[in-house]
Amino acid sequence: MTAEATVAEISVTIGERPAGTAPGEDILLDVRGLQTHFHVMDGTVRAVDGVSFSVPRGGTVGLVGESACGKSVTALTIMRLLDIPPAEIVGGEVWFDGREILALPEEEMRHLRGNDIAMIFQEPLTSLNPVLTVGDQISEQVRLHLKVDKKEGLGRAIESLRTVGIPNPEQRVKQYPHEMSGGMRQRVMIAMALSCEPKLLIADEPTTALDVTIQAQILELLKAVQERTKSALMLITHDLGVVAEMVDEIVVMYAGQIVEQGTAEQVLTRPMDPYTMGLIESLPSVKKRGGRLSAIKGVVPSPFNLPPGCRFAPRCPYVWDACRTTSPELIPVGGHGQRARCLLHTPAGAPRRAAVFDTAASSGTTAGHGA
Amino acid sequence: MAHEAKSLSTPTGSAPIDVEADAIQAIGMGIAQPDDATALRREEAGADYEVALESLNQWQLAWRKFRHHRLALMGLGILASFFIIALVGPIVWPFDFNTIPQPDVIVYQGRPPSLVHPFGETGGLQRDVLNLVINGARTSLFIGFSSMALGVLIGTIVGSLAGFIGGVLDNVLMRTVDVFLSIPLLFLILVASRFFGNGNVMLIVMIFAFFSWMGIARLVRSLFLSIREREFVEAARAVGVRDRRIIFRHILPNAISPIVVSASLIVAANIISEAFVSFLGFGVNPIYPTWGNILSNALTFIPLGNWWWPFFPGLMIILTVLAVNFVGDGLRDALDPRTRA
Amino acid sequence: MGKYIVRRCIQAIPVLFGITIVVYAILLAAPGGPTARFANNPRVTEADREKFKKAWGLDQPVPVQYCRWMGVCNPDNEGLAVFISDNGVPNFLPAAVGGGTNGILHGDFGISISTGQAVSTMIARAALPTAILAGTALVLWLLFAILIGSYSAIRRYSFFDQASTVFAYVGYAMPTFWLGIMLIFIFSGPGLNILPAGGMTETRLSPPFGSDAYWTYFGGHPVQAILDIGKHLILPVITLVVVNIAGDSRFIRASMLESLSQDYVRTARAKGLRNRVVWFKHAFRNAMLPFVTNVGLEIPFLFAGAIVTETIFSWPGMGRLTIDATRDFDYPLLMGVLLITAVIVVFANLLADIAYAVVDPRIKY
Repeated sequence: MTAEATVAEISVTIGERPAGTAPGEDILLDVRGLQTHFHVMDGTVRAVDGVSFSVPRGGTVGLVGESACGKSVTALTIMRLLDIPPAEIVGGEVWFDGREILALPEEEMRHLRGNDIAMIFQEPLTSLNPVLTVGDQISEQVRLHLKVDKKEGLGRAIESLRTVGIPNPEQRVKQYPHEMSGGMRQRVMIAMALSCEPKLLIADEPTTALDVTIQAQILELLKAVQERTKSALMLITHDLGVVAEMVDEIVVMYAGQIVEQGTAEQVLTRPMDPYTMGLIESLPSVKKRGGRLSAIKGVVPSPFNLPPGCRFAPRCPYVWDACRTTSPELIPVGGHGQRARCLLHTPAGAPRRAAVFDTAASSGTTAGHGA
Repeated sequence: MAHEAKSLSTPTGSAPIDVEADAIQAIGMGIAQPDDATALRREEAGADYEVALESLNQWQLAWRKFRHHRLALMGLGILASFFIIALVGPIVWPFDFNTIPQPDVIVYQGRPPSLVHPFGETGGLQRDVLNLVINGARTSLFIGFSSMALGVLIGTIVGSLAGFIGGVLDNVLMRTVDVFLSIPLLFLILVASRFFGNGNVMLIVMIFAFFSWMGIARLVRSLFLSIREREFVEAARAVGVRDRRIIFRHILPNAISPIVVSASLIVAANIISEAFVSFLGFGVNPIYPTWGNILSNALTFIPLGNWWWPFFPGLMIILTVLAVNFVGDGLRDALDPRTRA
Repeated sequence: MGKYIVRRCIQAIPVLFGITIVVYAILLAAPGGPTARFANNPRVTEADREKFKKAWGLDQPVPVQYCRWMGVCNPDNEGLAVFISDNGVPNFLPAAVGGGTNGILHGDFGISISTGQAVSTMIARAALPTAILAGTALVLWLLFAILIGSYSAIRRYSFFDQASTVFAYVGYAMPTFWLGIMLIFIFSGPGLNILPAGGMTETRLSPPFGSDAYWTYFGGHPVQAILDIGKHLILPVITLVVVNIAGDSRFIRASMLESLSQDYVRTARAKGLRNRVVWFKHAFRNAMLPFVTNVGLEIPFLFAGAIVTETIFSWPGMGRLTIDATRDFDYPLLMGVLLITAVIVVFANLLADIAYAVVDPRIKY
């Protein structure tokens, strides 16, 4: 029953809204047709090319894809942290908490950053300033946004370090980042991000740089604080295994575009896009024990030389002629809010569809996936 | 497919080394005996085509990157034309100390630039400043570049010894470098030029070289220490490749680009130092024109307003140093595998 | 911290010792030796030359000469007793505990051959003018290099950045003495003639700098005297700092750009900090770290520049002393000047190291 409810809710939130109108109250972040390009010497890179998705209040969304698919650029565009130039936001809207933030003056945007939208980065060592104490780095943000004095700022820094499970925070605030372990530093980053109780937390590959044993701890912590503070979470990762346990909804990106989106359950158990299928197949799992792990063949296409049709066509195991000429749209699949960008789900792909989903779908449920 | 694309797009060190490292790796894995190393390399001659292609590509890539560096290209142009001037100029239009343009007309004031004398004329003997500058170019450039070459040679040898042998020798050599670098080198150059130089160009070159190897030695030593730890050198060691071979085939080729870049800085510094030492009268015999000597002779005429006399040799120094620096910048970018063409 | 400083000071001792050897060796190797200055003087006979050598201790073996100069040997004793002072204790000990009074270990740099004055007195007299010149230059150098460099980095590719790039390239390629000559021509030449072409004070207004009469005058008209020196400082200081500002503004620009591109700057911006705070609290502090070391390494260039500048502008400092000593083959003076300069440079590096340890929390001491 609860699963049904989630699916219904998602189908409402994913629907496109006309440009210039605010999304419903329940939507915290709504990204519509976002296009971010980079102008570099060799030409223009369309790093984010028409991306639309939304994050409900208190909800969790995972942004998944190989490196350089546009996940991080999407996040940095939302934060408006890209250097312009070389970056240029060519089109689209980002609605946050009822406001279109791409049009906000820089000064107002600054009040949102760290206060309403906080971000955790991949590399905790380089993301913390080596010459300032962690206490200073957390409290400067608290003092700025919550307008408190130095003493209270430090008190809050200690408090937030305690929240993320750092023992002896009174001593730790006086330490420098290099005096801490990698996991400890990432805890500091999380404490810093949560210190102003943001409405949205963007975590960009928060565990990639950490030891495997620490990764689970950090993810657990992230999940726990997210549930406690009721802030929304946007988790960016290349690891489908990570999102499976963390988020309600998954957005899969490839070469600057969304190729599939839906609930975590939908995407992970009934993937509808060959790229997502490839990602899932390359995951080690109990079911496939003893078998070979498969990897997606080939490499991500050069951003200067994208294939004319479907961008995944050169690497796709199910490719046929039409894929090389026709660019597929992101279309609803299965009627429960799931969407995929693949010609298999168009009328043209109908004859091939059954064969593909018979062999590839691990659950074996191929019925009812027609468009 | 993917592997091929990768190996082509990754500029590694010079290709021959990689092949050898591969061979060594094969030996290490028990595929071949150490004695077969050469045979194995010869056997891999099939890969020679690819090797040649890649090593060519590396230099082609460097040249392509250099060519795109507009200032570096300009610097190279300036340097080339100065070299031609320095080589040909004194033959076409020689300077002779005893030949005075107008022996019967001796005035105190020089004459400002005109069509006949574009750089003006000096006070006193009314020599043509352009003629002095052209003839000075030969000595000044010769001192700047040859002292650099000699200094780089000394520095490379000292640095290689210190870095490769290490131990006590390393300590002694590096402390010597520390000591030299603690004294403002210009002081030493000045004193040495005065005491040993005798106005002789070759001696001056040697003195300058003697005081410009320390930076290179430090650099080469640190490169040796870092490269020595890399896998391919360890692999070469493991199969008993001789030290000399390791130095010349494995380490020095990797050290070339940083050496080239600091060499350009040495040239610039030495050209300026030469001018300064000559300016003080301790350098090249003042009867021969060098850019520094011309400046030195001009100094007393400054209050008379003879600006052209010191201005043009100074301008030549600036242009040369600028050109050398630009070329150095271009080389640094071109030889750095991390930058893109 | 205290321990670290002590350790670094102890490490400097062998370097200083090495410097004395290098200085001594260079002068020793010079052809002709100290008597070379008489070589072409027909009135100086061979006997005179011998007398001169004897008087300066040049007839002794080289190690003895070096040890006497250092103050390890007592010139009044012979044989093994040379190491013993007149009071019967090792000669190298301070005079207060009965050691010798000769040699650089006891502050005795010998007597100048050309003037007959004590070298230490001559150096002491020249030290103040050089300190004034180099000190002013150092302050302006750091100030302008930091201002220009960080502003260029923040406003990358702006007009200011491009103009400062041109300035840096040209300034860095410019020979110091040529710049000095041109400045003299422009500001003191027949055209403008608004600034003095040389000297430290206006000789018509005041007694020569450093003399007792001057200090009396200085006490009477301090403002006028300082303004006078300030006016004479302008051109030499510009000459001295342009090269350093040119080079270091590039250094700081690169260093600042490097730290502006670091992840922690992105984090700082993601926290919503003001640009000013991001630049000066987060990026600037990190950008200064390599510069601190760099300043220490560039102190020798400041001194080298001072020789040039003092020569052109007749500034009565250490640089002038060096040139005069070199020209006259004045060995004791030259050794004294070289040694003092080297010691200052060693301590400047020491200071830079300590400063680095203070500003970078990652350095363990």
